[in-house]
Amino acid sequence: MKLAIALLAALAFAALPLMTSSNYIIGVGISALIFTVAAAALNLIYGFTGLLSFAQLGFWGIGGYVTALTVVTFGGNFWWGVLWAALVNAVVALAIGYPTLRTNRHAFVIMTLTFALLVTLIARDWVDLTRGPLGIPNLPKPSAFGYHFATTAQYYWVAWAFSVAMLGFLYALCSSRIGRTLVAIKQNEPLVRAQGIAPMPYKLSAFAISAAVTGAAGGVFTFHLGIIDPLFLDFYYMQTFLIIVIIGGAGSFWGVVAAGIALSALPEVLRFSADFRMIIYGVILVVAMFVMPTGVAGWLRERQIARMREQLR
Amino acid sequence: MTVDAVYLLQLTLNGITLGLIYALIAVGLSLIFGVMEIINFAHGELLMLGAYAMTFALPVMGLLYWPSLAVAILAIMLVGFVIYEVLLARLKPDEFERSILITLGLSIIIIHVMQYFFTATPRMVDTQYGFEGVSIGSIRITWTRIIGALAAAAAFGGLYYVLRHTQFGRAMRAIAQNREAALMVGIRPRVVARNAVVLAAGLCGLAGAAISPIQLVTPYMGQFLIFKAFALVIIGGLGNIPGAIVAAIALGLIESWIGGFYEIIWQEAAVFVIMIAILFVRPDGLFKRGGMRVG
Repeated sequence: MKLAIALLAALAFAALPLMTSSNYIIGVGISALIFTVAAAALNLIYGFTGLLSFAQLGFWGIGGYVTALTVVTFGGNFWWGVLWAALVNAVVALAIGYPTLRTNRHAFVIMTLTFALLVTLIARDWVDLTRGPLGIPNLPKPSAFGYHFATTAQYYWVAWAFSVAMLGFLYALCSSRIGRTLVAIKQNEPLVRAQGIAPMPYKLSAFAISAAVTGAAGGVFTFHLGIIDPLFLDFYYMQTFLIIVIIGGAGSFWGVVAAGIALSALPEVLRFSADFRMIIYGVILVVAMFVMPTGVAGWLRERQIARMREQLR
Repeated sequence: MTVDAVYLLQLTLNGITLGLIYALIAVGLSLIFGVMEIINFAHGELLMLGAYAMTFALPVMGLLYWPSLAVAILAIMLVGFVIYEVLLARLKPDEFERSILITLGLSIIIIHVMQYFFTATPRMVDTQYGFEGVSIGSIRITWTRIIGALAAAAAFGGLYYVLRHTQFGRAMRAIAQNREAALMVGIRPRVVARNAVVLAAGLCGLAGAAISPIQLVTPYMGQFLIFKAFALVIIGGLGNIPGAIVAAIALGLIESWIGGFYEIIWQEAAVFVIMIAILFVRPDGLFKRGGMRVG
């Protein structure tokens, strides 16, 4: 049932460029798709595994830069760039994940945060590679089998195909035995150990997969923007991913996907100034943490359980 | 490369001043973590508010440094009190992730409200001392730096005394060491946690006020400092106050030395490289955490 709805929704989304000719609306659609993928990746590590990772911002930036550099500096094409972005991020995630996951969960949060900041500093200060604050402009739109995805509407199909593939992959992962093990690690790690399962490889792979998906998403988003500079690592992106996960409901796959689509479109529709939008995001974050800490999905589930109790009485 | 002794000494003195200011922030974080097991993400914003309080207090006070400093510290303590009563008091112990997300939201709100009202244009702070300083040989330090460093050192002395020899501080250490046992002997965690937050906010206000004549004041000034302070708290061992102070002063020196000889990127990146290296060797930080230790 849920899968059927999801499939219909995916097809409806594919038809967006046929329904409107406005590049602005299609651009918002691309952002919504990509942000949803990044939020679903954050949901894998935070919602399912219970590790709050701010490193997603760093992976997002590394992904963007690796893809851009593959095309501009190393002369590869876009598809290889996205693949490299995923690979580089997985390796980086393993390298920083190993020492950080050995520490407690408090230290993990702070270490991932400082990692994200380190990536920002490198993007800004390693001018020889990243061209510093000037950034890398005029990124060419990709082509495949002789077809050039030149316009925003044509690029939308790339973003759409990427998002559907990634969300499908993450859904398969989250609903598999591995996903259940991750939830178990979040709920009771000593019990998982007692069952003879070593949590470390699971946590490390969840971190690496979430990093690879976020990086690839960053790569696809960069080529939508057509430029990459240190602003791509603005904390605004991290806040957006976090708010999507929290409002949707950490640990609920479809809740986060629905919230991703809704919340990416909403600020565009309301057209606030940048400062005012951030203030509203902050207020939403604080209020949501008090009013519904488990998100919309958690709230709905509580309502459902309450109704079932009522019927039993 | 020949190392000029005077240049090196100058860098060392600058490094100590910088380190003491880092220490003020890191100690506040450590104090709050020790008592409440939460991290205050908006701590850097308290520092920024302290610096802004200084920009408003100084012209009113006729550029007198000390009264403005007192006003800034009291104002930030009040802000800390409000933040505790409105937000942090509702947190249960062991809601670490929630505390981070709530204070992250708060930090976004404070930064952008300040930017909305006072714009992102950096402000300069002028004090009665201006850019005057003392010169010993060819080494020169401005008065504002000296006073900032002395005030920080005095604050640590005061903090040590309070935590070690007063009932007020003993209660904080008791909660940090064993929450249940502290409850049993009649210590109220809520009151102690509020005191800890207000005290930490005061230290942060002092840091912001002390840094304002040295650096440009912008709504974003807190963010970069807070990330470094987070790293320091991890390096020193979460909740370990002397550990945080030692790590902070060491970092100030290292950054200042690196900044004097190498490119700026190394200066900024040093803290993260050191942190990752130390966590490889000692996952609990350089100085192990054991309740809240003060000496």
